[in-house]
Amino acid sequence: MTEAQFVALSPLILVGLAALVVMLAASFKRSNGLALGLTLAGFAASLVSLAWAAKVAPVQVTPLILIDRLALFYLGLVFLTGAAVALLGHGYFEKRAGYRDEFYMLLLMATLGAGVLVATTHFAALFIGLELLTISLYALVGYTRTEPRSLEAGLKYLVLATVSTSFLLFGVALLYAELGTMEFGKMVDLIRQGGHRETLVNGAIALVGIGIGFKLALVPLHMWTPDVYEGAPAPVTAFVATVSKGAMTAVLLRLYLLVGGAIPDSVMTLLSVIAILSMFVGNLLALLQDNVKRILAYSSIAHLGYLLVAFIAGGNFAPEAVTYYLIAYMATSLGTFGMVSVISGREREAEELRDYAGLFWRRPFEAGVFAAMLMSLAGIPLTAGFIGKFYLLAAGVDMGAWVLLGSVVINSALGLFYYLRIVASMYAAETSAKPGAAAREVALLGSATLAALALCLIWLGVFPAGLITLIRSAVLGV
Amino acid sequence: MTSVPMDHGLLLAGLLFAVGLAGVLVRRNILYVLMSLEIMMNSAALAFVVAGARWSQPDGQIVFIFIVTVAAAEVAVGLALVYQMFKRMKTLDADAASLMRG
Amino acid sequence: MLDLLWLIPALPLAGFLVLLFAGEKLGKSGVAWVGAGSVGISALIAGLLKWTFLTSPPEGHHFTQALWTWLDVGAFKPEIALYLDPLSLVMTLVVTGVGFLIHLYSVGYMHDDEDYSRFFACMNLFVFAMLILVLADNLLLLYVGWEGVGLCSYLLIGFWYKDPANCKAAQKAFIVTRVGDTAMALGFFLLVTQLGTLQVQDLLERAATRWEPGSGMALATALLLLGGAVGKSGQLPLQTWLPDAMAGPTPVSALIHAATMVTAGVYLIARTYVIYTLAPAAMAAVAVVGALTLLIAGLAAFAQSDIKRVLAYSTISQIGYMFLALGVGAWSAAMFHFMTHAFFKALLFLAAGSVIYALHHEQNIFKMGGIRKQLPLTYRTFLIGASSLAAIPFITSGFYSKDAILYQAFTSEHGHFLLWLAGALGALMTSAYTFRMVFIAFFGEPKTHVHHKPGWVMNFPLLALAFLSTVGGFIELPHFMGHAQFFADFMAPSFAHAAGHAAEAHHGAGLEIGLMVVAMALGLGGIAAAYVLFLAKPEIIEEKMKSEGNRKLHAFLFSGLGFDKLYDTLFVNPYCWIARVNKRDIVDLGYSFLAAVGMLVHFLLGLTVTGRVRWYAAGIAAGCLILMSVMVFT
Repeated sequence: MTEAQFVALSPLILVGLAALVVMLAASFKRSNGLALGLTLAGFAASLVSLAWAAKVAPVQVTPLILIDRLALFYLGLVFLTGAAVALLGHGYFEKRAGYRDEFYMLLLMATLGAGVLVATTHFAALFIGLELLTISLYALVGYTRTEPRSLEAGLKYLVLATVSTSFLLFGVALLYAELGTMEFGKMVDLIRQGGHRETLVNGAIALVGIGIGFKLALVPLHMWTPDVYEGAPAPVTAFVATVSKGAMTAVLLRLYLLVGGAIPDSVMTLLSVIAILSMFVGNLLALLQDNVKRILAYSSIAHLGYLLVAFIAGGNFAPEAVTYYLIAYMATSLGTFGMVSVISGREREAEELRDYAGLFWRRPFEAGVFAAMLMSLAGIPLTAGFIGKFYLLAAGVDMGAWVLLGSVVINSALGLFYYLRIVASMYAAETSAKPGAAAREVALLGSATLAALALCLIWLGVFPAGLITLIRSAVLGV
Repeated sequence: MTSVPMDHGLLLAGLLFAVGLAGVLVRRNILYVLMSLEIMMNSAALAFVVAGARWSQPDGQIVFIFIVTVAAAEVAVGLALVYQMFKRMKTLDADAASLMRG
Repeated sequence: MLDLLWLIPALPLAGFLVLLFAGEKLGKSGVAWVGAGSVGISALIAGLLKWTFLTSPPEGHHFTQALWTWLDVGAFKPEIALYLDPLSLVMTLVVTGVGFLIHLYSVGYMHDDEDYSRFFACMNLFVFAMLILVLADNLLLLYVGWEGVGLCSYLLIGFWYKDPANCKAAQKAFIVTRVGDTAMALGFFLLVTQLGTLQVQDLLERAATRWEPGSGMALATALLLLGGAVGKSGQLPLQTWLPDAMAGPTPVSALIHAATMVTAGVYLIARTYVIYTLAPAAMAAVAVVGALTLLIAGLAAFAQSDIKRVLAYSTISQIGYMFLALGVGAWSAAMFHFMTHAFFKALLFLAAGSVIYALHHEQNIFKMGGIRKQLPLTYRTFLIGASSLAAIPFITSGFYSKDAILYQAFTSEHGHFLLWLAGALGALMTSAYTFRMVFIAFFGEPKTHVHHKPGWVMNFPLLALAFLSTVGGFIELPHFMGHAQFFADFMAPSFAHAAGHAAEAHHGAGLEIGLMVVAMALGLGGIAAAYVLFLAKPEIIEEKMKSEGNRKLHAFLFSGLGFDKLYDTLFVNPYCWIARVNKRDIVDLGYSFLAAVGMLVHFLLGLTVTGRVRWYAAGIAAGCLILMSVMVFT
């Protein structure tokens, strides 16, 4: 390994190292604060090393991993999100009995897996990254052993994720059997040249698509989402909703850039149908839900549908639109699930809609931040969500994709309904709030994280140009 | 030595995959579901070996080792979860674990 | 120096944010410092900019400060930029300067209110929104400011929200102006789609080159924009909300509903004057709206007994003068009157506020009486304001600005004798109702006693505004009085396109003096009439009021010429009737059907989420089958 390769890989190495350090430290002294400190130090070191790695990028480290500007950008995104989840988790697990250190260890491992995913150019590495992420997530989802729903969610996630991974693996095996390589670039070239069995390759691509679509929770692979989101501890839900989807989107983006937008019409139609279904199914299922975590889960299905629209209709600026939308989505999801974890009490989580009744009068700060997050999800101007949606609409108008556009518009209205339901209940008089769900103590770190996220959302809504420039340099540098 | 044609190998892997999937879909006992998942993973691993043999590359076998390792880790976590579930629900019925729905 | 421009709106915004988040913790004096201080510093900066414009004007007499590009998606690239030219500078000066004085006054006026910080937060937000509206470089920003001031107006009219009547007044203001706003938004859409840019200056330039004078497109946009202006400025036919808006605290009435926000319509027309010069018919409409409004509001002001409602009708009437000026192409005269009006009307409102404050929230002028002795300073400043409103010759600013409008209404090529006549009659009415108010409230027998006297924070703004109301007019004198046209010269670059039109044929001093003498005579006659009817021989009125017809006339005038009733019969009642009759209407059925379908699908889809893991796995398998068959067979 050359020095440049080592430098390029250092962000990933540091996160892996941090996982080991946290594990070791836990065997000497169990402490929530210490573990959090080590975790944050690990993330900080990796983030700093990104700048270091940026100087040598792009570097191909073995055929498996490519550290280029796209990878660096997404690595930064994944690490920042991971750090935010750690901060949210600290307050959440502080309130609860049981071991806490393993949460950070698993979190670091999962983030490492996501980091491998965003930098991979080879299906073997994709598999390793995916499994590192997913297996850590099984444990994280089922982390609260005393809570049957948490266990159930972990088990469901395990079974379904393994099924989908098997599909992916089988697809890759078929592709390998036909093409003789597992590197993304070479595979795309070979497929373009032809001279292989079309049906086999197409079927195999469909199988790979199942694996990717499962992680993104697109219809019809969405059914695990609400149950897993509901059962998992709230900080973990935040992680599932953001990092694992963000990393998979990065993979999709890399493939999209390699293919160069030359996607056959039939596939485009298929993707359009999936996008439209995801939007409608997600939003309609969220419509009358009374469980806030499930509402947000269904809403995330719809949001990934929107994201797919950016891929389909984006044309030349699809990578940019997708990335911007993803960042807005990640920040808001982190914020909304973070809010659930911050205001949850000792006995149970604040997940019922009525737990939020009159929240504004009890905790005006949190309620205000939550409302800002929901507004961003709904795409109200001066929030990041608006800019993301504006990208979609502008792209759609450019391409004349009217069916997709119409669906986006209808679904925005549907979404507004249930987001406003939550907001309205927060400002309603406090009458039916069930005891046990409200946190008595304020999680300072969590609240600070949420405030920072809210500021970031508004900042991105008012001054989006800076981030757009950054994204352009990242995705166009590929 | 005459080798087995690749497509035969792939077909075998495909059949195994189908068996595994059917097992996941029809077995109610969660332990059998986990076993069926193993079959699915390993059928894919077999396909990799077959494919690697076609191109005379070690890659297929490397991925095979990856898969076997990962499957072991997965089963470890899975069994731990099943154990916890059995402790709390006193059942191994996969359908019983449906507290969350709708 | 000009680079400080962004601070002018930024400071009130910062003040708003501080008060919003930390208002409760600051304490009253802290709130006052933040609330009034932020606007005060803005006013200082605005003054500095004015000085820079006078001493070393930027090239082309305008200055654009591009702050940042909001979005950059394809062809859509709106800049967040501020545009400063003489027109927006004058508006900025008035908004910050008068705004600061009113904030200062509020420190005393609102001191005993429990929602002190909410009040100042809203006021600061208003100043911010108004500055954005005035300084906006593009339609998007202008619209944000426009809606922002509407929101603040709503919040502040309903400031004392515990009284349902105040909330109703706030809603009325919001809904009635919304009618106009819709028209304006349509006008904006038309402009953007036809001319393809959001930039106001580019729009005007393109309009001038692409649209023929008198073309339908120019007429349509001009009329739509007029709709917005009419709503915001309380002009016919959307004037009914303004008198009710007096439900807000008096400083609010002074700032929003007299000095600044209600003149946004005037600003809008002045800003887009190029489009109006292309549509002479629209200009005529503006002038006619102004003339009718000033007469109608002047009449209604006669019958009011609430001091603030008198002032509200007088505001409507004075803005009518500004519209009249705009309609005859007297752009800078309109802005001149806007400025002097801001001074003397703010003064009148604040002085009236002092009276109300001293008399423990008594607003009925018939219950005041004789307070000139008890509140001498308030009385004197009120008198100065009233003189200016009544346009007492030579010593008041109102005289000069009104005279400029009347002169141009007669001589301008868009002018007409009838327009001048309406203005002149309006002058008669203005001085009559103004001094009716003065005589009834401040003279005669004391009917109540003063509870507490206003302190210096309330008196200083009165003195400052009284000073401005007096000397503010000397910067623009009639031609025969030494031809000092500082204001018009300063404004000229903002109305460069209209230069050709404004090169009016000089009519000689004779006509000018003649017109002035007539207006003067009418104005002084109004005061004399008021003196006779309301102070010297009030029995004449009492006598007249005995007749049934006159009482009905009074009631008719009191209700603002029955516009509320008219709209109730024409729009509100039929609407309510339709709503009642059509409780289960057909349109609603469609929506109910949609909602029912949504719910049905929700439940059907909910059935698929069974919670059973094997079912979910089957879903994946089915999805795979579909995906594969599509991929393989197409």
